[in-house]
Amino acid sequence: MSGADILLQPGVLPRLLQGLWVTVWIAAVSVGACIPVGLLVGWLMTLRNPVVRFLMRIYLDFIRIMPQLALLFLAYYGFARWFDWNLDATGACVLVFILWGGAELGDLVRGALQSIPEIQSESAYVLGLSDWQSFVHVILPQALRRLLPASVNLATRIVKTTSLAVLLGVVEVIKVGQQIIDANRFQYPNGTLWIYGVIFFMYFIVCWPLSIVARRLEKRWAND
Amino acid sequence: MFDWSFVQRYAPFFVNGALMTLFICAIGIALSLVVGLICAGIELARIPVARQLVRVYIEISRNTPLLVQLYFLFFGLPKLGVVWSAETCAIVGLGFLGGSYMAEAMRAGLEAVPEVQRETAYVLGLSPWQSIVRVVLPQAVSSAIPGVVANVIFLIKESSVVSAIALADVMYMAKDLIGMYYNTYESLFMLVISYLVILLPISLFGLWLERRFDYERR
Amino acid sequence: MTEQNGDAAALSVRHLAKQYANANKRVLDDVSFEVPKGRVLVVVGPSGSGKSTLLRAIAGLEPIQGGDIALGGEVIETGRPGSEKAGRSARSSELRTRIGMVFQSYDLFPNKTVLGNIMMAPVLVLGRDKAEVEREAIELLKRVGLADRKDAWPHELSGGQRQRIAICRALILHPEVLLFDEITAALDPEMVREVLDVMIGLARAGQTMVIVTHEMRFARAIADEVMLLEDGRIIERCDDPERFFTQPETERARQFLRTFEFERAGHDKP
Repeated sequence: MSGADILLQPGVLPRLLQGLWVTVWIAAVSVGACIPVGLLVGWLMTLRNPVVRFLMRIYLDFIRIMPQLALLFLAYYGFARWFDWNLDATGACVLVFILWGGAELGDLVRGALQSIPEIQSESAYVLGLSDWQSFVHVILPQALRRLLPASVNLATRIVKTTSLAVLLGVVEVIKVGQQIIDANRFQYPNGTLWIYGVIFFMYFIVCWPLSIVARRLEKRWAND
Repeated sequence: MFDWSFVQRYAPFFVNGALMTLFICAIGIALSLVVGLICAGIELARIPVARQLVRVYIEISRNTPLLVQLYFLFFGLPKLGVVWSAETCAIVGLGFLGGSYMAEAMRAGLEAVPEVQRETAYVLGLSPWQSIVRVVLPQAVSSAIPGVVANVIFLIKESSVVSAIALADVMYMAKDLIGMYYNTYESLFMLVISYLVILLPISLFGLWLERRFDYERR
Repeated sequence: MTEQNGDAAALSVRHLAKQYANANKRVLDDVSFEVPKGRVLVVVGPSGSGKSTLLRAIAGLEPIQGGDIALGGEVIETGRPGSEKAGRSARSSELRTRIGMVFQSYDLFPNKTVLGNIMMAPVLVLGRDKAEVEREAIELLKRVGLADRKDAWPHELSGGQRQRIAICRALILHPEVLLFDEITAALDPEMVREVLDVMIGLARAGQTMVIVTHEMRFARAIADEVMLLEDGRIIERCDDPERFFTQPETERARQFLRTFEFERAGHDKP
């Protein structure tokens, strides 16, 4: 069939895979950096200090109500001028994903911590455990169980959102695809269909296993 | 430093962009609700084959980015002879993405109704239809509303991506103005304000709706 | 046939057999008994003995594989072998209104007020006049001491109040038999009494009832007949509750009743 053999051209698939690698790499770095930010934000949100709480609320609500693409624009065009940062497109993406992912994860952490019944820490206290021991041995293991499925889902969302990086000009899988399409415009006029089809499939292959893991965890740890 | 006259001059652009965003979203979200309802219905009625197809659709839709879905619809499909306008692609894209999220929210709502409610309706002599309309649906709608509202907001945010297929929505206006005049601050300011103006009332309305339909809280 | 005559038992169950799908054992095995009109049968037994399943089968919520169930002498359900995976019985709406059932919890409709809950079935199913049903509903509410809560929502009520409303909702259909499935098991202790008092009032008024309960003192007070169920079989049946609770015939019944007594400190320990 016309067009499909564009995929068999030397270098096409390897280049797409390289592009995918950039996508996965941006997502992985962002997810990795999200974890400490999220834990910090979540912990801050459980504090009773009204000022801290208020600031966290503003941060969270603003990040959550803005489309991620708008946040990317703010970071890429705005931060560069406000702070005189020389933030490249990739840097802007990672920054936004950390701020956004950190906010989302922070809210999950808060929810998980608050879902542990007060009686758990009271029991630990009565048994003589220190605050730290109580947190590490009693609260955290239970909170993690509630946290993990939603966190894996968040990771899937971050991977999907990395697709927006192309709109800032980052050379990731979609951009590579567009370059291949442009270069073969006359030779393979139907290449568009196949290249975008493959990219579609690649995202699915990365995200689907994550979704399955999240669902498994959810099922296993539901109601206990 | 901050040029108010620029804001005044180009605010109408953003109003037009916001109208485009709202237009695409209104139809796209309506489509996603219909798709979601059909899928949830098929899953609940356990219709063989159709049910498996729904599962496949939900997995594909949830595990791929809207941007790639849109590129495929807008640039890929014409090669198969299916030529859609950017508007149609955006609406179909939102419906395709949102349908799976809506289906999950609706299914969760139906599953939240305890079995004993259906049993009680049966024991009281209600017909299956009466049981669904009088007992199950009102409660299912009540539990599904928070999820559906969250999805509506999610889809409006996602719609910012349609600027990538040259639809003149809010995002597109900001990109255009930055590109043409370098008035970055003012453009970004109007971008943020536009989304706040669109999304804040909707999220407040969502909260009101949740409360209105929550039988435990009103 | 002498069916549907005045002497027929309100409820009779003959050789009832019930098995769940994917289970290799029967939950109910050759269970037979009768409840004459106006009498109260209390079913007791350890958890997992099949008590709840028995009530659910009578109400048509579970398919049965053997035996039959008759209401006022009229057979309403016959066991069908291999029906393990079948859903609820296809019996008519009108027939379902003739057997009332109150569940352990969560059975009031949260989207209806107290009156809405009570009036729903008589209006929708029996097509009775709304105003007349409302008058009767308020009479019933007065009987259970909740007339002032007629416009309340279920979540505004205590557990004990909710169960009393659920009883009213069943009563308004004038059921020939009323089934109670551990309706006080999920209640705080101080609310148990108000619900049990209502049931004792019903027994005095001649309502035919089958009650599954763990409240032994209550069982003793209300029962005309007691039945001990274990592993899906009837271990002992006795139409003299006093004798059953003080001098049961079987060793199993003695053991079962002993689990409700407390050992005195220092005694009976090796």
